[in-house]
Amino acid sequence: MKTANDVYQEKGWREWQTYHAVTPKTVLFLFFAFVLLAWSGHNTEMDKAAVETSKAVLSAVGIGDSDVLNGVTKFGSQAFPLKFESRTELTRLEDVDLQDLPLFSYIEEGVSSEYDVDTDTWTEEKTEYLVEPIGYLKKVLWMMWETIEMGFWGTVISIMISLPLGILAARNYSPHPIVYHISRGWLSFHRAMPELIVALFLVLIYGFGPIAGVLALAIHTSGVLGKFFADEIENAPKGPQKALSSAGANSLKVLRYTVFPHVLPAWIAYVQYIFERNIRTATVLGIVGAGGIGMELKGRWDLFDYDHVATILLIIFIAVLVLEFFSQKLRNKTL
Amino acid sequence: MLIFDKVSRVYPDGTQAVKDVSIHLKKGEFCVLLGPSGAGKSTLMNMVNGLVEPTTGKIILDGEELNKKNLQTIQRSVSMIHQQLYLIPRLSVLHNVLTGVLPQAGFWRSMIKSFPVKDQMRAFKLLNEVGLEEKHLTRRASELSGGQQQRVAIARAFMTKPKVVLADEPVASLDPAMSRSVLNSLKTAAQTHGATVLCTLHQMDYALEFADRIIALRAGQVFFDGSPSEMGKEVQIRLYEIERKSLEKQGPIIESDAVSPPLQVSKVKPKDAVS
Repeated sequence: MKTANDVYQEKGWREWQTYHAVTPKTVLFLFFAFVLLAWSGHNTEMDKAAVETSKAVLSAVGIGDSDVLNGVTKFGSQAFPLKFESRTELTRLEDVDLQDLPLFSYIEEGVSSEYDVDTDTWTEEKTEYLVEPIGYLKKVLWMMWETIEMGFWGTVISIMISLPLGILAARNYSPHPIVYHISRGWLSFHRAMPELIVALFLVLIYGFGPIAGVLALAIHTSGVLGKFFADEIENAPKGPQKALSSAGANSLKVLRYTVFPHVLPAWIAYVQYIFERNIRTATVLGIVGAGGIGMELKGRWDLFDYDHVATILLIIFIAVLVLEFFSQKLRNKTL
Repeated sequence: MLIFDKVSRVYPDGTQAVKDVSIHLKKGEFCVLLGPSGAGKSTLMNMVNGLVEPTTGKIILDGEELNKKNLQTIQRSVSMIHQQLYLIPRLSVLHNVLTGVLPQAGFWRSMIKSFPVKDQMRAFKLLNEVGLEEKHLTRRASELSGGQQQRVAIARAFMTKPKVVLADEPVASLDPAMSRSVLNSLKTAAQTHGATVLCTLHQMDYALEFADRIIALRAGQVFFDGSPSEMGKEVQIRLYEIERKSLEKQGPIIESDAVSPPLQVSKVKPKDAVS
């Protein structure tokens, strides 16, 4: 059969090469890519996920039985209704004036059971509880606020670290190539340390509490922020900088008057994103004891208090939504 | 005032941009450099503010030879207006003008954008001179029209009380009416402040209209040097041909790209054309 090239040659036209979109090479590549994906998917239990999920779906419509669905229903049944009230045994409280209880709170009589290991028996005892209807909600909200504060201070310290490092890590403003490489390396180092791992170490150093979390956040995100900042400085338009420096202004002044105004909007957007991200991350940092709402979450989870856990999750969810709303508003204003 | 003394420049890749140029500029002169792209106009200008070093020869400003030692002092008495303006888009007009005094401003003061009242008053005066009203002061430079931006650039250039103002094709991107008015502002400002202006232009008719002195360059050498009235028709036609040839080298000429023919140009009377 004559190819297009043959015809072209016969007619004496110029011999230009045609091309095919799909070649044996493409097929071979796709085949190997598929094999690789299949192997990797098996390693990460993707097959199990597919099987279990479809089992759960089938079970939901009444066919067969599924561990996944059972797990979900078990959590669900224990999580609802959400727990907003707090109950404290009166005997554990000091300075309670029964005539003047806190607002909306009341005394409830109940039965507390105690287990005796020696005799292997349960003894039941009448106890009085002080019930505060939204006591637990208040506690969770306060912890959420602490979490937000952690995110805020993490961001502030991260800016304080990343601002000078970012300038030193920008190729065109770094005083010396050695300084440039050191600061770039430093930023990469900060970026490469996951918050949870850093927080583990900092809890060892500073003890349990928010300070470990704040510093962990600051260290990780300063690496991210510093890199963004350095890249933005490097990519700022060169013309105005040249104009000012050829008039004799020193590089810090040039930085202040041409580069900063240019990078500011992008930079504010980065900082906002980092702030949001820090708050979200701060909610889990408590799991290793670094303060915030995560500490309460982990504690309640370990006690199987799923109704309390559900309250915490709800508050985290609402807080993240609200923050995102405000940060969106702020972004629309600044850009 | 500004003396180029047998100045040559060879770039590292071997191009001879400027060859044995000797020019003596008087104080307060409005001098236009004409010539096709690659004739060495920009190289000659960049030598004055130290962006390019001459290979041989020397440049003398106010009796002081330009070298690395006094580069910063020289840079402060030389201002530049760039073709692309290089204003800072997100800064206000006032701050853009004030960046003209940035080299002399105190470091910490300038970091918080604080400028002495004296400098602010000078900025107002200059903006007024180039024809910008007070309402534009707080607008961002990017919100202005091309002509207004060019005026801001002129005001910025005169902030430092410069001895020499270098203007690199200041009207390249403007329409004819706006170009005339901007060149007029530049000339008036230069006269008021007694600054020597070295300005490159592509349009010969503007050169004839505004210049005190025209220097035409070809392949790095001075081809014509004199006042507009000394510039005969033959020189103009010759210049026009040079420009056309250099355009042909770059690619096929589309009619609208070509330089306006010299016949129209000669109709302009240089002296009373300033409006």
